[in-house]
Amino acid sequence: MGIIAEDVRRIRSVFESELASAGNLDEIQKIRVRFLGRKGEVTSLLKRLGALPPEERPEAGRVLNELRDSMEEDISRKESECEGKEVALRESGEWTDVTLPGRGRPWGAFHPVAQIAQEAIDIFASMGFSVAYGPEVEDDFHNFEGLNIPPHHPARDMQDTFYLENSLLLRTHTSPVEVRSMKKWGAPLRIIVPGKTFRRDSDQTHSPMFHQLEGLLVDENISLAHLMGCLEAFANRIFGRNLAARYRGSYFPFTEPSLEMDVECVVCSGKNPSCRICKGTGWLEISGLGMTHPNVLRAGGIDPTRYNGFAWGMGLDRIAMLKYGLNDLRVFFEGDLTFLNSTGGDR
Amino acid sequence: MLVSLNWLRELVDIPVDIETFAKRLTDTGTEVEGIEEPVPLFRGALTAKVDTIEIHPSRQDLFVLGIDASGGRRAVCITAARNLREGDIVPWGPPGSILANGTEITTRDFEGVISEGMVLSAEEIGLPEIADEFGILRLDPGTPPGEDVRKALGLDDAILEISITPNRGDLLSMVGIAREVAAVFPEAALKPLAPVIPPRAESLEAFRGITLDDPDCPYYALGAIDNVQIKPSPVTARVRLLLSGMRPISNVVDATNLVMLLIGQPLHAFDSAGLPDSEITVRSARKGEMILTLDGKTRIFEEADLLITSGGKPIGLAGVMGGEESEISGSTSRVLLESANFQSIRISRTSRKLGLPSEAAYRFARFVDPFKVEPALAIAMDLMVSWGAGVFGGWIASGDPGCATRKVTLSSGLLEKIISTGDLDMATTILRRLGITTADTDPLKRVYEIPSARPDISIEEDLVEEVARIRGYDLIKPALPPVLHSTGDITDRMRAERAVRSTAMARGYSEVITYSFVSPASISALRFPDTDIRSRPVALSNPLSVDISVLRTTLIPGLVQAALKNIRSGWRGPIRMIETGMVFIGKGEEVEEILKMGGCVCPGMDTRSPWGEQAVDDLHSVASDVMAIFASRGKTLKLVPGSEPFGHSGKTARAIVDGYDTGYLLELKPEIESEFELPSAMYLFELDMEPLIRGGNAVFGEVRKYPPVYRDISLIAEEGVCASDILELIRGLAGPFLENVRLFDVYTGKGIPEGKRSLAFSLAYRDPEKTLRDEDVDRTHGRLRELLMEKGIKLR
Ligand SMILES: [Zn+2]
Repeated sequence: MGIIAEDVRRIRSVFESELASAGNLDEIQKIRVRFLGRKGEVTSLLKRLGALPPEERPEAGRVLNELRDSMEEDISRKESECEGKEVALRESGEWTDVTLPGRGRPWGAFHPVAQIAQEAIDIFASMGFSVAYGPEVEDDFHNFEGLNIPPHHPARDMQDTFYLENSLLLRTHTSPVEVRSMKKWGAPLRIIVPGKTFRRDSDQTHSPMFHQLEGLLVDENISLAHLMGCLEAFANRIFGRNLAARYRGSYFPFTEPSLEMDVECVVCSGKNPSCRICKGTGWLEISGLGMTHPNVLRAGGIDPTRYNGFAWGMGLDRIAMLKYGLNDLRVFFEGDLTFLNSTGGDR
Repeated sequence: MLVSLNWLRELVDIPVDIETFAKRLTDTGTEVEGIEEPVPLFRGALTAKVDTIEIHPSRQDLFVLGIDASGGRRAVCITAARNLREGDIVPWGPPGSILANGTEITTRDFEGVISEGMVLSAEEIGLPEIADEFGILRLDPGTPPGEDVRKALGLDDAILEISITPNRGDLLSMVGIAREVAAVFPEAALKPLAPVIPPRAESLEAFRGITLDDPDCPYYALGAIDNVQIKPSPVTARVRLLLSGMRPISNVVDATNLVMLLIGQPLHAFDSAGLPDSEITVRSARKGEMILTLDGKTRIFEEADLLITSGGKPIGLAGVMGGEESEISGSTSRVLLESANFQSIRISRTSRKLGLPSEAAYRFARFVDPFKVEPALAIAMDLMVSWGAGVFGGWIASGDPGCATRKVTLSSGLLEKIISTGDLDMATTILRRLGITTADTDPLKRVYEIPSARPDISIEEDLVEEVARIRGYDLIKPALPPVLHSTGDITDRMRAERAVRSTAMARGYSEVITYSFVSPASISALRFPDTDIRSRPVALSNPLSVDISVLRTTLIPGLVQAALKNIRSGWRGPIRMIETGMVFIGKGEEVEEILKMGGCVCPGMDTRSPWGEQAVDDLHSVASDVMAIFASRGKTLKLVPGSEPFGHSGKTARAIVDGYDTGYLLELKPEIESEFELPSAMYLFELDMEPLIRGGNAVFGEVRKYPPVYRDISLIAEEGVCASDILELIRGLAGPFLENVRLFDVYTGKGIPEGKRSLAFSLAYRDPEKTLRDEDVDRTHGRLRELLMEKGIKLR
């Protein structure tokens, strides 16, 4: 036992002085191997336990184990001290310019009209409206006659039409999809029709190509109140706050009664008499709407004595202009990257 | 339509201020687009009588006027105008008053004679159109001196610009607007306009009669004014016409126009001497018949046009415009005044076809009440006689105005269903104010008598609209529709479009929307052979300009134009644009629409970056973008060498999805590139959206328990042999444990023979059942190397 105790003291003392003078992780690792490794000094002492008289073995074993554990602990402590120092050294010696442009391609950009269409579709889908599509090249029946606009009707003057050969035309509104959808699905029906429309017109607020979002609901016992409910819910969502709405009488051949919907100016709320967006009126026209004319239901093969419904149309380009505060419609279709990609870092 | 508020006040009370008036009219569907004060700057002028006229003592070209503005107010005025007589009433601008152009009038010394202000011409008042002679405006005799000129001329007015919807032809007149005002404002009383209609004559002196040979003219009346003296109409009438948007011409023409404005019935005055015969026949045109119309143009007709003829010759285009031969002139001694009804669509058709949008045609196209024929004629003749234009010579008529009313039923149920109140008494009160009456008082259903002036009211829903708009739409309380039968679906097409958008945006593309119509040149620039359907775009019959005159057969022209525009306006960075949209392919009578996705990428002029050349886009980076888009919908896209007429012959790929050719990815042909003066290469792709719409299910792999073992293989390939072919070859030969092959190096240069490439692949082997041992892999991989060598491939 005496010998063991002596050895323990000696090993302990050498270990402590060596560890104290160790300066890096490599040296610490060497110390660990020398004392605690497979052929290390503590390990050899443990191997000698078997040579002791049996009554001394437990005590000696305990002492040696204690020695080993405390050395392990000291090494670990020394290691983390050392590690901390090295990491600190590494951090203090290194620097990168965090303001460099990000590597790889910057984010592109959504088109404002497509973005508004997506948001509008999601809002109406949450009210049970499904997306429907129809051709952009239409025939006279679906674009006009089926919508209660016979040939030479003065209402045709409201929409200057692009014609193709063979009595085809470019649809002047998304309304033709109303009749097509009624024929396809019957009643009850809730659809929205986002899409391109074309009119022979070009100035700051008119483009020969523009985008509409049409809506149609056909069911039993449908009222103007329901139409207003849907459109006000939409306006409040798309502009992100509750806006006052008002309705005015209007005329569309395919609805009866026909209305126009205005919402409170999203820019000035009617508080700026020289507001550019609402021209000081405090109101913005956002949709034409009405109860579907019985002739249109009939053209769609739906019995107007059982079902009725409502429809609306709105200009997606206009809503995009209002929401994003833009004032020239034509730039939407020129692909100008300084306009479209104003957030991209790629110039 | 321009509506004079003063004139309107003669027909109906206006019980509210003008802003409220405009708002409530607008709310009920008659939109007031603007309110303007006529010649707003003109202020302070008085009417004055010219008492004396003397020649200026030292200036022979000037006159010294002694004028009397009544109430003891006398003044001396100098004028150069030579049209004045003693006793004339003229507008006088005293010192301090202001001309229409904003100039303040002062006292002026004309060589020793002081002019106290000035007497005014029509131009100085701001109404040059009402001048009937050169010089000072002479007011109507009997105008009292000392009055404010604004009041005397009717300039103390407000002019409303009102937009009338096409269904409301009845509102294209002052009496129509007055009726509407009385309906909108219950407290406003209509002031009746009941012209005395002299009895119809059996015949007109020296006139044989009227023949109606076409059902589209149901009723035709003709009045005669004899001993005609063509003069200007009274000044106040000229002002009224002008404020209503029409030019004064002469007493006869002005009377017809004033009556049209007042009650909406277009009238036409013929010079009796200009008629080839003393009769009028209304009939369809014969093909090829011609007339010189009042606007000096020769018009050639078709059978669909309706003509007024005399002695077999056209003298007017019914409801649109008269002929020049029978135009009223200074020598006219007998006027034949036409007041007739013509069918709307017929007139609309001719007017639109000939591009002749006259005031008459505009009204007829929107329907004119046949019951206005007689009162219009009576008022116009009365006006002409009272203006001294001539004497009443009787009137005759042919045909029949038809029924004065028709019946439409309104049920309480429908009213309740649509506007949430079924109160028929309320409805009846509103409708009565619109001139719509009812006899019975059934609580659930009422029959209304609709006057002939309102052809737009023909079904129950029309009555609902009348009630709803006058009652006020804002009284309806919004609510969501109560029953949801199904959920809303954005559809697979929309999901596909969204996947394209979000994937492309995330990879640095800007989404663009370009016109669906392009220039023919932009398509021919792509060098499609005649056999390619894309070379023959469908043309618009009436394009706005040649730049947008044909429907695109490919998205490429729009994208290229957009890229060029950016480059030419100084964009130096990379361009990455993507568009989804229809292309249009003509197929016989039909036009097929195909949904495509297209893109255009240019590395740009300035590709410098802190990260060096690795950031520069090329065909392969674009390939990765396109593959990513398809992967976002669970689709694998494979590229194979291919061609396009506008593609670089060595750098064009066809895209294969689900085994089908789905489109292309290419570098623009250098020849076209230099034609466009591009600063760098341009990469283009266009693919069908169809596989993306069909796709959508994400694809996941199986979780593997045992690790893979990797081996590389490096070989020499002839240039022109595609990596994908070798990759497929390896796949086919490597045995069942090959899980993946990845090309990781392509090398030409030192150590590789000219015309060859070194390709290096990394192969992953894995056995799903157990851990592969190195020796098993070595055996498999070795076998692969042997097989490749047997195929003649040189390994490194
Ligand atoms: Zn505003």
